[in-house]
Amino acid sequence: MLTTVAAGRVYDFSHCMGMYSTSGIGFLVPQDFALGSADTLYVLNRGVDEITMRISKCTLNHEFIADIGRAGTGDGQFVWPTSLDLDREENIYVSDENLNRITVMDKDGQFLTKWGAPGSADGELNRPSGIAFDSADNLYVVDSLNNRVQQFTKDGQFLGGWGSAGSGPGQFNQPWGICLDQQGNVYVADWKNDRVQKFSAEGEFLGQFGETPGGVGGLRRPTGVAVDSDGDVYVADWGNHEVKIYEPDGKFIASLVGDAEQPSPWVQDYINANPDVAKARRRTNMEVEWRFRRPIAVNLDAQDRLFVAEAVRHRIQIYTKERNYAEAALNL
Amino acid sequence: MPSQEDIALMAHLMRRAGFGASRAELEERAAKGYEATVEELLNPGPEPGIDEDELIRYFPQFESSLAPVAAQTEWVYRMINTRWPLQEKMALFWHQLFATGNSKVDNPPELLQQIAMFRREGLTTFPNLLVQLAQNPAMIYWLDNNGNHYGSINENWGRELLELFSMGVGHYSEDDIKEASRAFTGWTIGTKPPRQPVGRFYWSFEFKPEDHDYGEKQFLGHSGNFDGGDIIDIVVKEEDTARFLARHLYNFFVADEPQVPAWNITPPNDLDAIDRLVQAYLDSGADIRSILRALFNSDFFKQARFAHVKSPAELVVSTARLAGNYNGPRTGFPLLAFECGWQGQELMNPPSVESWHTGSEWIDGGALVRRVNFAAKLLSDTSLPGIKAIVAGLKEQGTLSPNEFVNACLDLAGPVEVDEGTHQELLAQAQAGGDITWDSEEAAAESERRTGVMLAMIAATREFQFA
Repeated sequence: MLTTVAAGRVYDFSHCMGMYSTSGIGFLVPQDFALGSADTLYVLNRGVDEITMRISKCTLNHEFIADIGRAGTGDGQFVWPTSLDLDREENIYVSDENLNRITVMDKDGQFLTKWGAPGSADGELNRPSGIAFDSADNLYVVDSLNNRVQQFTKDGQFLGGWGSAGSGPGQFNQPWGICLDQQGNVYVADWKNDRVQKFSAEGEFLGQFGETPGGVGGLRRPTGVAVDSDGDVYVADWGNHEVKIYEPDGKFIASLVGDAEQPSPWVQDYINANPDVAKARRRTNMEVEWRFRRPIAVNLDAQDRLFVAEAVRHRIQIYTKERNYAEAALNL
Repeated sequence: MPSQEDIALMAHLMRRAGFGASRAELEERAAKGYEATVEELLNPGPEPGIDEDELIRYFPQFESSLAPVAAQTEWVYRMINTRWPLQEKMALFWHQLFATGNSKVDNPPELLQQIAMFRREGLTTFPNLLVQLAQNPAMIYWLDNNGNHYGSINENWGRELLELFSMGVGHYSEDDIKEASRAFTGWTIGTKPPRQPVGRFYWSFEFKPEDHDYGEKQFLGHSGNFDGGDIIDIVVKEEDTARFLARHLYNFFVADEPQVPAWNITPPNDLDAIDRLVQAYLDSGADIRSILRALFNSDFFKQARFAHVKSPAELVVSTARLAGNYNGPRTGFPLLAFECGWQGQELMNPPSVESWHTGSEWIDGGALVRRVNFAAKLLSDTSLPGIKAIVAGLKEQGTLSPNEFVNACLDLAGPVEVDEGTHQELLAQAQAGGDITWDSEEAAAESERRTGVMLAMIAATREFQFA
């Protein structure tokens, strides 16, 4: 369904962006993304076969601007890029879970610095995954194989952290994505524990999201999380190929399954230029293409529009949260 | 405490039923016992061979990439890291028997689906496997059954089913091929979205009744309104099929046979062994587990050490496992996948439906140099975990004479069993350096260096090319 109505909320599918591409227009196995100023979008591409890693910089109007970074171990290069966020100056921060480091570039892709060292001592990293800035421009890093969250200044000075291996409150099992809400609370996708945990900025456990009464809302290997201005929580339910939505207190309210009936403009250009592809699309049921496949990262913009990146479909689906929606009568 | 013979026999089993094992694993398995290990290999526990979620977390390209190398890399990763080596070994066996290639299918993700089917079904029964194969989209496309229509048959699948996949040349007629083909009309592939430009979509098997020939057929002396499943039921009851499969299993797991095209004019090297496998097939209703149990527990298998030239996939994967530096997610797996191809076995792209020629035909001048260089480079790197373990094993034995040093290296690297001439060559090299000692830092460093050299030489021996 293009419009999902649940618990006083309405999510309406808007459009999608992206397509498969090893360079230029398109994405390739997107892992994360961030929304910049002036409708700019930065998409972090994992690439394939140890090549073609890059950041795609484009606009929400489907204008390609630049490819940033490439495969390698040198400055400004990536091996297993995993997460991306922007500081206040819109400098780009990228975690690399193979190189155990954070790479910093300006918004045009100019390399600025890198920091991080492998290990398990304070400030060291073992497969860093999700990263997110707080309002003071300090960076939270999910230190995945150390099963903890660490906080750093933007130039890499260790500030603190919390977490240990396990499945209890405040414990993790290979956590992945992270985000902050408007109050500065921290949400972590506790990947192998099939839940999202909520913490205060200092790491005090506040609650968790996952299966709720009625046996609904269960997560399987969640990877990404985002919180809107109402406090509703959106989780990339990677293993179930859905996005799950929860009320601020953890009650599950809806699932999105993907609705990209209308191809992105880039995809439409590709179809128009390839008659055989156009024919192949006309002879089959295309519904499977509309649906999410490995939704991996979620973000919201200032208007609470929801952006969902899909690793296997190389695209981003966009939903609006409607405020003044009159529901069509069921008996029509 | 397992005896040296127990270890050597376990190493043989693990080279054939898997892709080799470290000394620690061999000792652990030998302590459990040979037949218990065979059972464990045949009946994997509830835990999956690979953590599928972790696989995709760290290698998302395995379900996103459209390139051949991604598919090959995924399989090589599994071969090296699986907890259940026989599943992967059987997948390789069925791939070599039911050879399907990207040269025509041009769709690596679909070929990978076929390999996954071999992994999932490979230890069940032969009739089940043939049905799965007949309904596998990559195979349907590879052998044109999507072009096999009511009133206008395409014989490709029907012919290869009988000639290459079950009975072998000379046991059926041209009319049988035509009638089998009629029975498989309507077995085709459903449509799917094109793979570009938003990634993979998978084919599915589709039966189209309107395109199926429901008329009576005459097949191998039987008559009826047969469909594909009936044809397979008839084929798998033929002793020729049992004999054909038995010879393939013998060739893959026990000892190299002449090339398959010669089988209708060249008898098996060990007819008694084939007869025993045929009996296991007939007694068990073509149950693959039962046939393999009979094979691995037989004397003819146990006595066939180093009687089988490693295929490139076996050589690459077993050497990487011995070196111990490809355990778990890391970079570098694509190069291992390429290496198989450079040595003559491009996975999921055999030269034709007749598959690769095996045994000594894996070896030519170029391939031999690649095989030796690849293995020698890994085994001479004393920084790698598996080689460090060998050095530690030597160190435990204290000072070693050149002869003891050679024997200990051969033991810990396999055990590899070499002939006298090879042994003399290794010994001559070892004697040039004198005794191996560990009593000072310099001596230990030099002994470690010499161990790397000796292992590289072992990798270059004739015997190392055999499993």
